[in-house]
Amino acid sequence: MTLGRTRHEPMGSAEPSGTPDEALLQRVGAGDERAFRELFARYAAVAHALAFRLVRQAQVAEEIVQEAFLAVWRTPERFDPSRGSVRSWLMGTVHHRAVDAVRREQAQRRRADQAAALVPRIADDPTDDVLSALDLPRERRLVQEALAGLPDEQRDVIYRMYFDGMSQSQIAERTGLPLGTVKSRTLLAMRRLRINLGEAAP
Amino acid sequence: MTLDHALIDELLAIRALGGLDDDDAARLERELLAHGDCDECRRLEAEHAEVAGMLAFALDPLPVDEGMADRILAHEQRTKQGPDGAAAAPADELSRRRDARLGRWRAAFGVAAAVALVLAFVLATRPEGGNQVPGTIVTFEGAPGELAMAYTPGERDALVWGTGLPDPGTGKVYELWMFENGKPVRAACLTPTDGAVAAHLDADLSSAELMAVTVESTDCPAAPTTDPVFTAELA
Repeated sequence: MTLGRTRHEPMGSAEPSGTPDEALLQRVGAGDERAFRELFARYAAVAHALAFRLVRQAQVAEEIVQEAFLAVWRTPERFDPSRGSVRSWLMGTVHHRAVDAVRREQAQRRRADQAAALVPRIADDPTDDVLSALDLPRERRLVQEALAGLPDEQRDVIYRMYFDGMSQSQIAERTGLPLGTVKSRTLLAMRRLRINLGEAAP
Repeated sequence: MTLDHALIDELLAIRALGGLDDDDAARLERELLAHGDCDECRRLEAEHAEVAGMLAFALDPLPVDEGMADRILAHEQRTKQGPDGAAAAPADELSRRRDARLGRWRAAFGVAAAVALVLAFVLATRPEGGNQVPGTIVTFEGAPGELAMAYTPGERDALVWGTGLPDPGTGKVYELWMFENGKPVRAACLTPTDGAVAAHLDADLSSAELMAVTVESTDCPAAPTTDPVFTAELA
C-alpha cells in the first residue's frame, strides 16, 4: 500500500466520482464548487470526528472543521504534493487546529469525562475489529488493525499524543516515563504503523 | 547541530502527531535550516505526515451539519463582496480571528526550507552579525504565499521572511503591526521582491499578542488603514 497520493475511495455521503483528491483540489483552485463539495463529502465527517475527539466540544469541533475547509477553498495552493497526500494535509490541518485549541483551553479537559460517552469510539480490543470488520470501510479497518498491531506501550503513546492532544512532555509527566523514552517510543510506533499499514494493503 | 537524520526523523514523527514542545520545535527548525534543500528531510516529513493523516480514519466518522459546505462557500462570497458592499474593519476582523480560538501556529518547515537562502542572507546582515536563529517560529495565515517570523520571547530581535507573496500593488507596501492590548503598533514596512521579503525586526515582542500585516502606501502610516491580509497569534 502506498500511503501517499493514492486514489481514495470516497467515504462520505456525496455522489462519489472516484476522481483522485489531487485532481479535485486542482479544480478547487479554479473555483469549482462541485469539486470542493466532493472533497468536503469525502473528509468532513472524519475531520469532524478527529476534531471532536480532541476538543470534546461540538461547537468548537464544528468551527475547526469549517475553518479548515474554508482554508482549503481559499488557499488550495498551500497544498504541497511533495509533503504528502491531500488527505494527510487536510487531516494534519484539522489536527493542528484542534490540538492548538486544546492547549489554549486546557480547562476543556475537565469536560472530557462528561463528554466521554459521545466521543467517537476507537476499537481498543482487536476482537472488536474482527467481529465488525465486515461492516467497516476498508480504510478504517486497516488503520484500526495497524493500531492494534502495535505493542501496548507504543499504542499508548500514539493515543495520548494524537487522539488526546498531549504533548511529549505532558505524556512524560503523566506516565512518569523519561522524555527520551516517550520520544523513542513515538518514533518506533510511527515506523511500525507505516509498516503495518503497508502490509495490510492488498 | 547534527548532520545525520536521526534527530530530524524523531522530531518530525512527534510533530506529525502534534506532540512537539516549543523548544524541540525550534530545535527541529534549526536542524532543518542546517540541512537546507534536503530530499531526505522532505521524504521523512511526507512519510510521517501520511501515517499521522491515516490515524484519523480509525475513528467513527461524525456527520457534519449538512449546511456547512454551503456556509463555507457563502461566507467566501460575502468576504469578497463585503457586508453591504463594505469591507470589515480591521479591528473587527482581528477580533473575530482571536475569538475563533483556533491555532495560528503552524509547522514552519515548508516555509523554512523554501526560504533558507533568504534567511541565511538576513542572518548574515543582522546588525549584531549573529548567526543564531531566534528560538520561536510563528507562521502567518491569510493571503496566498508564506510568511513567518522567528523571535525569542523577551528579546528585541526578530526575523521576518516570506515567499510567494502577492504584489501589494503600485505604490503599496506590506506593513507589519504588533498588537499590544488590542492596539496596533507599527513594526516594519516590507517591500517584496519577486514575492519574497526578509527583514530584521528590532522590536520588543514581549507584550505583543498578535501580529498582522496590511497593505499600505509607501509612506507607512502610523495606523492601519486596510484590512489585514496576514495574521499570526503569538504564544
